[in-house]
Amino acid sequence: MILGRVVGNVWATRKSERLGNLKLAIVRPYCWYNPIVPTDHVVAADQVGAEIGQDVLVCIGQPGRWMAGDCRTPVEASIMAIVDETTIPRASLEDPQVPFALRPGFAPTTLRLTDETTMAEDRRR
Amino acid sequence: MMLGKVIGEVWSTRKSPHFEARKVMLVAALEQDGESLAVTGEVVVALDEIGARPGHIVTVSWGSGARAVLQPPDNRLVLVDAAISRIIDAHSQEIDGRESVVVEE
Repeated sequence: MILGRVVGNVWATRKSERLGNLKLAIVRPYCWYNPIVPTDHVVAADQVGAEIGQDVLVCIGQPGRWMAGDCRTPVEASIMAIVDETTIPRASLEDPQVPFALRPGFAPTTLRLTDETTMAEDRRR
Repeated sequence: MMLGKVIGEVWSTRKSPHFEARKVMLVAALEQDGESLAVTGEVVVALDEIGARPGHIVTVSWGSGARAVLQPPDNRLVLVDAAISRIIDAHSQEIDGRESVVVEE
């Protein structure tokens, strides 16, 4: 799954019949583990109604294809949800093992740091 | 399947109907570093149905393995390509011919 932001839309008149009336969005990924082709954007089918500037979750591969129609739809990425908020406990960032906040490029508008404790802290009490 | 440490949660209200009522977590990828596990800096977005919390060490399954984590009958058509499949209690590796076990807090 990819966490990214919608940065644009794609329109087409001449296209594969199997594509139908699918809306296509361009998503710039923040979080994409082990991409097949390293790229700074993904074109994803949008059935949720995401707008430019919103953070979204994108599903890659066969499930994304099924959601866009059937197994023959020429789509390999589907937007599955519009992100309201990404919460990261402050304790997660203070853990020296997790240099998450230092990662360049990770800047969802929806990021919020919380004071929620992590599991390890709960156990220590 | 890979090892990771849960570091946060992604919240959303407008979702695909094939993905309702499910939690999505951010998981930092881990790699072996001597006797312990170290964060690589990569972060994975994965669905969670077993109640993992920030700080937990977990395994993440990919592809159809992720769908297999979900309970039937709805696991065929769920929009998911990565899911948390286990919460790890302890892990071990061979060091100098001996098995070294690390129990998580």
